[in-house]
Amino acid sequence: MGLLDRLAGLLGLKKKEVHVLCLGLDNSGKTTIINKLKPSNAQTQDIVPTIGFNIEKFKTSSLSFTVFDMSGQGRYRNLWEHYYKEGMAIIFVVDSSDKLRMVVAKEELETLLNHPDIKHRRIPILFFANKMDVRDALSAVKVSQMMLLETIKDKPWHICASDGLKGEGLQEGVDWLQDQIQAMKI
Amino acid sequence: MTSSLGAVRGVQHRDEREPVSVERSNETNSKWLDAHYDPLANLYTFSSCTALLDLHRDGEAKLVVGDLGTGLCNMKLKVYKGTSLMTENALLDLPTGVVTFLMDQNEPRTPAVAVASGPYIYVYKNLRPYFKFTLPALDVNLLEQDVWNQAKQDMIDPMTLKEMLEGIRDKADVPLSVRSLRFLMLEQEEMESFVNLHKHHPIKRQTVITCMGTLKKNMADEDAVSCLVIGTESAEVLILDPEAFTILTKMNLPSVPAFLDVTGQYDVEFRITMACRNGSLYILRRDSKRPKYCIELSSQPVGLVRVQKNIVVGCSEETLHAYTQKGKKLWTVYLPSSITTMGLLDQKSRGFQAVMVGLASQEVHLYRDKNLLNIIRTPDVVTSVCFGRYGREDNTLIMTTKGGGLIIKILKRTAVFEEKDTSPGPPLAQGVKLSVPKKTKLYVDQTLRERENAVAMHRIFQADLYRLRLMAARAYVKALEGSVAPISSVQQEPLQMNAVVQGIGPKFKLTLNIQNTSINHPSIHLLISFLYDERLYSMENSFFKIPLLVPGLNYPIETFVDCLSDKGISDLIKVFVLREGKSAPLLTAHINMPVSEGLAAA
Repeated sequence: MGLLDRLAGLLGLKKKEVHVLCLGLDNSGKTTIINKLKPSNAQTQDIVPTIGFNIEKFKTSSLSFTVFDMSGQGRYRNLWEHYYKEGMAIIFVVDSSDKLRMVVAKEELETLLNHPDIKHRRIPILFFANKMDVRDALSAVKVSQMMLLETIKDKPWHICASDGLKGEGLQEGVDWLQDQIQAMKI
Repeated sequence: MTSSLGAVRGVQHRDEREPVSVERSNETNSKWLDAHYDPLANLYTFSSCTALLDLHRDGEAKLVVGDLGTGLCNMKLKVYKGTSLMTENALLDLPTGVVTFLMDQNEPRTPAVAVASGPYIYVYKNLRPYFKFTLPALDVNLLEQDVWNQAKQDMIDPMTLKEMLEGIRDKADVPLSVRSLRFLMLEQEEMESFVNLHKHHPIKRQTVITCMGTLKKNMADEDAVSCLVIGTESAEVLILDPEAFTILTKMNLPSVPAFLDVTGQYDVEFRITMACRNGSLYILRRDSKRPKYCIELSSQPVGLVRVQKNIVVGCSEETLHAYTQKGKKLWTVYLPSSITTMGLLDQKSRGFQAVMVGLASQEVHLYRDKNLLNIIRTPDVVTSVCFGRYGREDNTLIMTTKGGGLIIKILKRTAVFEEKDTSPGPPLAQGVKLSVPKKTKLYVDQTLRERENAVAMHRIFQADLYRLRLMAARAYVKALEGSVAPISSVQQEPLQMNAVVQGIGPKFKLTLNIQNTSINHPSIHLLISFLYDERLYSMENSFFKIPLLVPGLNYPIETFVDCLSDKGISDLIKVFVLREGKSAPLLTAHINMPVSEGLAAA
């Protein structure tokens, strides 16, 4: 990094690039959340099931995020692990209204945490307990209980309730993620 | 059975028992995720009354269950979404089958639900009653009708009516109607009112549905229009048109069907496999009014599943049999407990199919061919199993239990069922065919010659055999006469001897075991003499006396032989047992001396 770049960085003119993986089961709302985080003029109206993955970019006050929005469909989930190396943080989206598949989300999280590319790295994981607007959705606390999040000891994690359609709770999560990434770098 | 049927009798061969080690489903090493368990779901049903379908075309499959309730009341059609009950509709009678099918080509292509119950099929669309199909009434016994007509005009009293009906029941070909049968069961005081209540209605004879399935009309696609196939208590198979609900085909069976399986397309070619209450499987095909094949089972069928082209049938004697669609028996598996239900596990993403068997021992076994792949332990006896897409998950297993519980398990994305042969039995190599070389011309000529001259060859062989026997007998007699055998046959001195050589040379130890084989006659005055080549061997004592031989005892007599040659040659040493005063030996033994391996004593 040149002197000019560093200066620009210090002055907040040029933002640091961060690669983030967005994971979660199909229909949990990953693309909707990422779409909502993008600047309002770049947002799309209709969200369709992701095939393979999409790369999206958005900026916060101090970081420039590049998000790998992975498809959550069963047949694409084996693609996830190829991007673990590049990810500096993980956003894991859970559909709080789908009680039946909470075990599947838990299983996928377990597989993720036990992967050699993730296991020994202290990377922050942000959980979105999404679809809080649905009538009998589980609370964020209940979701973290069912997902056994308290057993994650060696990585910083945070769960926040969200509504991807309205964008509620997303900023809180992204702020936490930004703090973690900055703390990690220093 | 009709003569046109080709009966195939199952051959019993007990070859496999409960395998020793099969992966049991436990918490840590399971292929299944426990998604939901509600022991108080109050769901009483069988596999034939459960179906999975995407009811609202929203990508989320629902579970439709025909709930039997208590068997008398509370019969309901329930729809589950996720872990909770979405809707329920009351049913009038016990459901005997629930299937989902597409009735027409109209958009949106919402699937219809057909519920068989009594003599009716209720068709629901969007969970609203849409159509009710009634089975056609059966012919009524004319005599019975006459009798009831007379009762109607008060020409006969209830007692006479009863007598006449009983007469008809015993003789007639056409069975009595339900009303008459009920009447015959009544006590005398109830008859009068029963007759007065019912006599004005004409009698009807109605059959009921025992099982139901679907058959694609003319395309094999997943979303093609399907016909309903129903089996009735009057031992008939009906195929219904999906739009008009008219009977397209009617076929007769020798017995009442209990389970059915359908494959193919109505307009092209199809096969209907019926498991009947007489303990037989019947296979019907297009364009035949009667069964094409019959498989006689050794006991009552309790479940029927088709895996690709094979039929797997569970029997009440705790066995699972597999047959080809032409009725050839493939294998039998002996189960540890009786079967409660059966279902097909079809993992479409991997193209994997297996049979799930619910057992009374609170287990669900998974069989691929005759190999047990997986055991799922359940908290209660499972009465229905259903595998398929539920919610948004493709590989979901839904089970209901005897106590009314609902169990939902999801197959892990990474789970692979190992297809190894877990049952003990003959090794695989036994089944491998040996590559036998082709018959050569020489071989063929030889066999031809042998075939032509069989008699002559046999005669020559017999003559040679007799000659051989004669020669053997002569040699034996000669040996006995010359006392050159190690057994003495002389009446006064029956003796037996064997010799053992020990050592590697040049000094050998020679042990002679001499035994008097007479019953009570001791041998005395016996001598032993050795005969050998003096250039090769030397002996301290080549001639000595033997002590008195008590009958039955073994006398080991030891002596030493020195080998004089170091050229690695060996010779024979002859041992003679002699009687004092006689030159002919009593018995002779020939000892083959081993080659001396040690150097000659320097």
